[in-house]
Amino acid sequence: MKENHFKYIGRPVPRMDAPEKVTGTLKYMTDYHFEQMVWGKVLRSKYPYARIKSINTSKAESLPGVVCVLTHKDIPGFNGFGIVVPDQPVLARDVVRCTGDAVALVAAETKEIAEHAISLIEVDYERLNPVTDAEFAMSSNAPSLHENGNIHSHVIIKNGNMDTAFEEADVILENTFYSPRQMHAFIETEGGWGIQEPDGMLTIRCPGQYAYRDRLQIARALAMNPARIRVISHPIGGAFGGKDEITVQIYLALLALHSGGRPVKIHLSREESVIAGIKRHPFKVEMKTAAKKDGTLLANQVRAVADTGAYASLGGAVIALAIEHCCGPYKIPNVDLEGFCVYTNNGISGAFRGFGVNQVCAAIETHMDMIAEKLGMDPIELRKKNAYEKGERSSIGHELKTSVGTLKTLETAETCELWKNREMYKKNISEPWKKRGIGIATSFHAVGMGIGLPDYGAATIELLPDGTFKVGVGCEDIGGGNSTVYAQVAAELLNCDIEKITVIQGDTAETLDSGTVTASRSTYTGGKAIAAAVPHMIRVLTEAASAQHRVEPENILIGENEYYAMTKNGEQVSTYEKLYAYLHENRLSTKVEGHFMLPKEKEELPQSGGAPHHLYGYLTHLALVEVDTLTGETEVLRVVSIPDAGQVLNPQGLEGQAEGGAVMGIGYTLYEDVLMDGGYHQTANFTNYIIPTIRETPVIETFPVESTEETGPFGAKGIGEVVMIPIIAAIMNAIYDAAGVRIMHLPATPERIYKALKSRDVRQ
Amino acid sequence: MYASEIDMLSPRSLLECLYLLENEKASFRLLAGGTDAVVRMKEGKWQHDYWLNLKNIDELKFITIEKDEIHIGPLTTHSEIISSPLLQDHADVLVQACREVGAAQMQNMGTIGGNIGTASPAGDTIPALFALGAIIELTSITGKRQVSAEDFFVGPGKTVAFPNEIITKISFKVRGKHDIGLFQKLGPRKAQSISIVNVAISLSMKEGTKECLGGRIAFGSVGPTVLRAKKCEAMLTLGELSPDMISNISSVAWKEVMPISDIRASASYRRDMASALLERGLYRLIKRWADNERKPF
Ligand SMILES: Cc1cc2nc3c(=O)[nH]c(=O)nc-3n(C[C@H](O)[C@H](O)[C@H](O)COP(=O)(O)OP(=O)(O)OC[C@H]3O[C@@H](n4cnc5c(N)ncnc54)[C@H](O)[C@@H]3O)c2cc1C
Repeated sequence: MKENHFKYIGRPVPRMDAPEKVTGTLKYMTDYHFEQMVWGKVLRSKYPYARIKSINTSKAESLPGVVCVLTHKDIPGFNGFGIVVPDQPVLARDVVRCTGDAVALVAAETKEIAEHAISLIEVDYERLNPVTDAEFAMSSNAPSLHENGNIHSHVIIKNGNMDTAFEEADVILENTFYSPRQMHAFIETEGGWGIQEPDGMLTIRCPGQYAYRDRLQIARALAMNPARIRVISHPIGGAFGGKDEITVQIYLALLALHSGGRPVKIHLSREESVIAGIKRHPFKVEMKTAAKKDGTLLANQVRAVADTGAYASLGGAVIALAIEHCCGPYKIPNVDLEGFCVYTNNGISGAFRGFGVNQVCAAIETHMDMIAEKLGMDPIELRKKNAYEKGERSSIGHELKTSVGTLKTLETAETCELWKNREMYKKNISEPWKKRGIGIATSFHAVGMGIGLPDYGAATIELLPDGTFKVGVGCEDIGGGNSTVYAQVAAELLNCDIEKITVIQGDTAETLDSGTVTASRSTYTGGKAIAAAVPHMIRVLTEAASAQHRVEPENILIGENEYYAMTKNGEQVSTYEKLYAYLHENRLSTKVEGHFMLPKEKEELPQSGGAPHHLYGYLTHLALVEVDTLTGETEVLRVVSIPDAGQVLNPQGLEGQAEGGAVMGIGYTLYEDVLMDGGYHQTANFTNYIIPTIRETPVIETFPVESTEETGPFGAKGIGEVVMIPIIAAIMNAIYDAAGVRIMHLPATPERIYKALKSRDVRQ
Repeated sequence: MYASEIDMLSPRSLLECLYLLENEKASFRLLAGGTDAVVRMKEGKWQHDYWLNLKNIDELKFITIEKDEIHIGPLTTHSEIISSPLLQDHADVLVQACREVGAAQMQNMGTIGGNIGTASPAGDTIPALFALGAIIELTSITGKRQVSAEDFFVGPGKTVAFPNEIITKISFKVRGKHDIGLFQKLGPRKAQSISIVNVAISLSMKEGTKECLGGRIAFGSVGPTVLRAKKCEAMLTLGELSPDMISNISSVAWKEVMPISDIRASASYRRDMASALLERGLYRLIKRWADNERKPF
């Protein structure tokens, strides 16, 4: 970390929410119980694909203790939701397309009565053959799950001339990669509260990633003025993209309208969360990459198919981002890339940290490793040779106008202790059947929305009577720690102690719309929005001080925690309390707003679904693994994470993200997958959904390289997603380095590695 | 019937508990640490009238040595077993198995009686009890009977215990100073995982050599109950336990197991892993013996 003159920026400020989270005193929304409350339950579809012939709720309604039973008939407005296309019914009417589909809702006096009532609802289904394979779904033999067929979106990016490129090539690699259906596995499953206030207003308290959009989706289903709905989406027990889409908000709203003003709570069991919650898209990625003898990449041909399950959610955007990123941060002159987002009856896939880039990075970075091996080149050298720099053109053909840190991250990787001493680490095995290897991979991830989606931020700052500031930012803190960064930015710019800042997030009544907490955008967006609001607050305070002391504003100086007026009688101090009192007495506003638009690229690549982005964060990972060749078990022993996050606002926060992301990437690569069979979830809960525990957590070192991003708050970019991306391929490459097998079907479970070892030994 | 309607009785003594169990009109389920029971309750699997809470029956919680026998009360938690110097000395294989149960939370709450009561083919303490030749004592109001661990389990979740019987003691012979043991587990990850395969090994070694005078090997998670690997055991005494010998013995293991495929692993992988774990286990055990550290602690 470079020395700077800031008081908070770039310093390891402890997280403001840490004490109450660590000690367990923080109550999450789903922790609350109220007098007079009722329990809500959702009836999910029995089958992955079926027609509904009839729904009979009379038995459930007559069960003592049942408050209401609702079906599609009780939806006052539009029966659908979905961030991009609202193709998912709130409550299914005539067809169910996955076992997560909601068919009816119950509110009852107790949870058990509600569960029992759910079991008494009689739904007459006509079963249909589920479509469970994305490739089959695309064929003409498959039944159409939606009006416009099963291909929800098809994106294409082409550049250069493929034919000649492959002819010129010295090395061509062609492989198919399969990736798992990763679950967000947040600690707090989907849930929350709904209540209709005595004045008819609806309050929905439900953890989410974008309260304002949730409110609009609720309003659409209820045919209700959104201004009469308040959504509180914070605090959140983890989200990772899994609470970006509507979870239970609309159910809560519908039930609240029928519960006589009593609060209604829904809290999904883990089992229901597994079935109904969105997942990461499983991808099939076919990739053909060509290079010259000297390592220059010539061409990349990619066909990626994403299984979005029954509904689109953000699937279209996920495949678009995947295709935008599938050539890595390299300049490959000839590319032919296409991606399909396909409907099936396999649950629902949607937003998840990395947003499609994880799946394609695994492919390109494996190919990079294979090319290096074939050419006898150092894998870092090969990447350095092909990495683009600021001002150069990327593989998809657009010029990078913002900061690019790839080279710096690779140079740092080259000189880090683990890489320099890799031969020693590899030799250092404890038992004869253990093999060690070190792998490297690099990747990038866009920050902010693509072209075609307005991207804006807004913040409020309010001076309170006690002389503190309330900073409101719509963007929720989904665990990444942005609240602390917001406080740092506000305190730094207002020139006050951080203790004087309270940050309010995720509440439509208290904050302005600042867009969603996705796309690694919230530090950048919220930080810039606060920076836009601060001058207004300074003007308010300066004017107040000048009026109070009857001097011209030029004679007001901004001090630390106070303002000074240069009067004829010398320097007079105005504390924030005094300034508040003055403003209050004179009925002047104590609250200001700041708004800003995120910079964007002007020209969209045709058919790309929103590419290119203007800003990207970059990162290189190194991983040291040990493979037990007797059992196929892999242990990740060490990880080095080298992010380019622009200027680091909070090193401790960055490390938190880097470490959490690495662990999530380890889970993705080695353990995690929600298994499905015939449209039914085989993985029921955490008994068999394996996420890393502390015993699977290696030593993780974080060495940020700082490539200042001129447009960012204090030069910062975003980092929330890329921290879990290259580690996937780094581990895959390390497994190869250790044991000589390439696992292209993730997760690389002991069984898969063992089988690969066994068939290799048979071949040899 | 709702789970919340199941009442709980908390007898103060074993006798009171046994009396309650004699009531044929009601159905009961014993509750020790609850780490299995609560999961089943939430799944709605058990529909009994009463929980019989054993927590207050202090006489079921003990670790003692009498002459050449070790006695463990069923209410003893995994953590208590792990930290018992007596068991560290005389039942290393059991101590290691308890260390592999879930993670700290499960070890603090879960009991050995509960692990036996659940009778899962993947239960981690069970192969260790096989390896130790443990005897399980069942008590009802009319008396006690002793069943060897190997005869105790009938199938997944099924034991020879009658509804009016409760496990009151687990015992086995103290081990000589040439008896060494080891537990190996292969799960989908290191902590909080259900065994894909596990194995418990107990060997009697000839002093100053790598020769084995006899031993027991038991596999978990590769059949309807835990299984003894008698062919492998017979091979233990054929010669010095060199790496080659170990590899030969282990290669026989797959013939002794009958695993099924499930969501965690395929049958063929499990079968191969029985051999792999045995090889790894014997190698580590002999290395420890050779390094002269009888205890892995
Ligand atoms: C997250 C998690 C991880 C786990 N990991 C493992 C693991 O790695 N390995 C493993 O083996 N197990 C594991 N388990 C299962 C469980 O923790 C153990 O089986 C534990 O030993 C059970 O003990 P308990 O005291 O909690 O039993 P309880 O749940 O109280 O009872 C279990 C059963 O035993 C019966 N029972 C209890 N005491 C007696 C008695 N004295 N006489 C007769 N019957 C009795 C009960 O009626 C019940 O049927 C795990 C469980 C969880 C929830």
